[in-house]
Amino acid sequence: MTRFRPPRRRLAAVLVAIALLSVLAPPTAAQQLPSEAAVTSVTDERKVTELNISIVEFDPGVPKDRSLHRDLQVFPRIREIEALFLPFVLRETLVATDEWGAVRVVPEPDFGAELLVSGTIVRSDGATLELQLLAVDASGREWINRTYAGVAPVSYEQSDAAPGLSGYEQLYDAIAEDLLLARNGLENKALRDIVEISVLRHANQLAPSAFGKYLDSRPDGTFRLNRLPAENDPMLARIERIRGVEYVITDAVDAQFQELHAEIASTYDLWRKYRRQFADYQREEARRQQNARSDAPRGTYEALLSRYNNYKWDRLAAQEQEKWAVGFDNEVGPTILAMETRVAELEGWVQNQYADWRRLLAEIFLLETGLEE
Amino acid sequence: MLMHSRQLLRVRSTLVLCLLVTACSQQPALKNNTPGFEGAMPVDFSGSWERDYSRGDDVNGVLGGLFYRLNRQAAQRNPGDPRLGSATPGISEREASSILALARLAELITRLDVLTIAQNEYEISIERKDDFTMLCEFYGGVAKGTTSDYGSEVCSWDGDQLVSHLILPDGLNISHRFAISADRNHLRVATTVSSSATRVPFTLTRFYMKFDPPTSEFNCIETLSMKRVCSTGEIVP
Repeated sequence: MTRFRPPRRRLAAVLVAIALLSVLAPPTAAQQLPSEAAVTSVTDERKVTELNISIVEFDPGVPKDRSLHRDLQVFPRIREIEALFLPFVLRETLVATDEWGAVRVVPEPDFGAELLVSGTIVRSDGATLELQLLAVDASGREWINRTYAGVAPVSYEQSDAAPGLSGYEQLYDAIAEDLLLARNGLENKALRDIVEISVLRHANQLAPSAFGKYLDSRPDGTFRLNRLPAENDPMLARIERIRGVEYVITDAVDAQFQELHAEIASTYDLWRKYRRQFADYQREEARRQQNARSDAPRGTYEALLSRYNNYKWDRLAAQEQEKWAVGFDNEVGPTILAMETRVAELEGWVQNQYADWRRLLAEIFLLETGLEE
Repeated sequence: MLMHSRQLLRVRSTLVLCLLVTACSQQPALKNNTPGFEGAMPVDFSGSWERDYSRGDDVNGVLGGLFYRLNRQAAQRNPGDPRLGSATPGISEREASSILALARLAELITRLDVLTIAQNEYEISIERKDDFTMLCEFYGGVAKGTTSDYGSEVCSWDGDQLVSHLILPDGLNISHRFAISADRNHLRVATTVSSSATRVPFTLTRFYMKFDPPTSEFNCIETLSMKRVCSTGEIVP
């Protein structure tokens, strides 16, 4: 079982601290941005098509009405685990396409992300997976908004697919293809705007007075570029360095999801296998019942016992499945808890820093322009 | 007196009609109109319960009593009936064997030494060795039943008594009525089995005493890949 790994945490903290120290320091010559407009410099390091993608933890899709859970065979704790686990499988699929910039799994929606993918688990029963996916870029443009369903073929258990992915490759591939299709439908100018809007939305969150005027926010939730900041805008340089630190943290969080995936994938596959076997058993049992009805005369002990036993075995099978769910949670619970604790620490650190950054940027803005933030 | 007999006849006819309707339906029907409650569950049944063999019904005794009662009723109705001297007086042989079948089933499903009852805000689960765990779910004070192709299960409260109803095909109904003593140390479970093959239900009562299960030297948890994992030390979670 996984335990906390203090040395690794300490290392992450040191890395973060080092990154932080350089954030608000004046830029050195080597750090000076290119002569182009500061915002567009982001795109200089990668192809314009290679947008960064943030995949937010999925919504577990657990009905609020607890009384429905058993009927729908929804195991809330396992759905919560799947909500952490499945985004990483999508991430791996997108990374494998080699078509995108950084693809990260994040715990909370980053509305300034170049492309934000969020999802809800509609159905997950071992044999079938249904995901409601929404992808929105920084300008508020919707890329995809639909439900994807995948049915694992019977032979998936023998397949050599990556753990956690087996059987649902087509579903994840379909999402990747749709994202690619949506991106290919946009001109380079539109893609460049997405990157610039992303930076400016982020800048606007940190220093609204300095950056509020560059973007138009429309009632339909979309954003339009008004104009770009001046070349070598020192405030933007600072924002970019802050963003760099945030990316360090985001990558550390993403690493936690990666670790989680590696540690629970095989157990998750076992859970799926058991659920599938249960579904097969139920089907088989229903067929057996139809073909082999008790021919004992009604009212006899044999007939009564047969009715009772049919119900008894059906309930015992269902209760066995509930025991598997508890076993799964017991097995991966410590890993999940450790991961959630580490992510919460990292997220908490960023949120605390945000307040400091906003205050410092406001003070710097006042010093540089004489205008109140 | 005549009026009273007519009323009785009407009630009986209605009951027979109800039984016939139930018997004719192949799929067990579950009606979720059991009375609800407000706030916490009326009684806490949680704990480990072991059978008190010094109390409770003996199946042969109950059968004897039942047939005696039927005999008396038959004698009152028709004093000249030649079957009054037989082993199963007052009823047909077919009905008698149906009652015997109910008695055998009742004995089988009440042959439990230990009940482990867990209870929380929403449900009461009654774990029984070698049988399925009975489940009583209540959401917002309203009972929630379980239905499958093989039967339906729903619980209700009758004052401080919990009643579990199991409705199976071909008109087989099993109900367990749980009542706890004032000191919470004794549990009475009255199990009634009825079938559409006979108008007479069969009830067996069992008694249980609360006990503290022995503590093990090992701490165990269920896991998915390694099944049951035990340790002498603390197991997380």
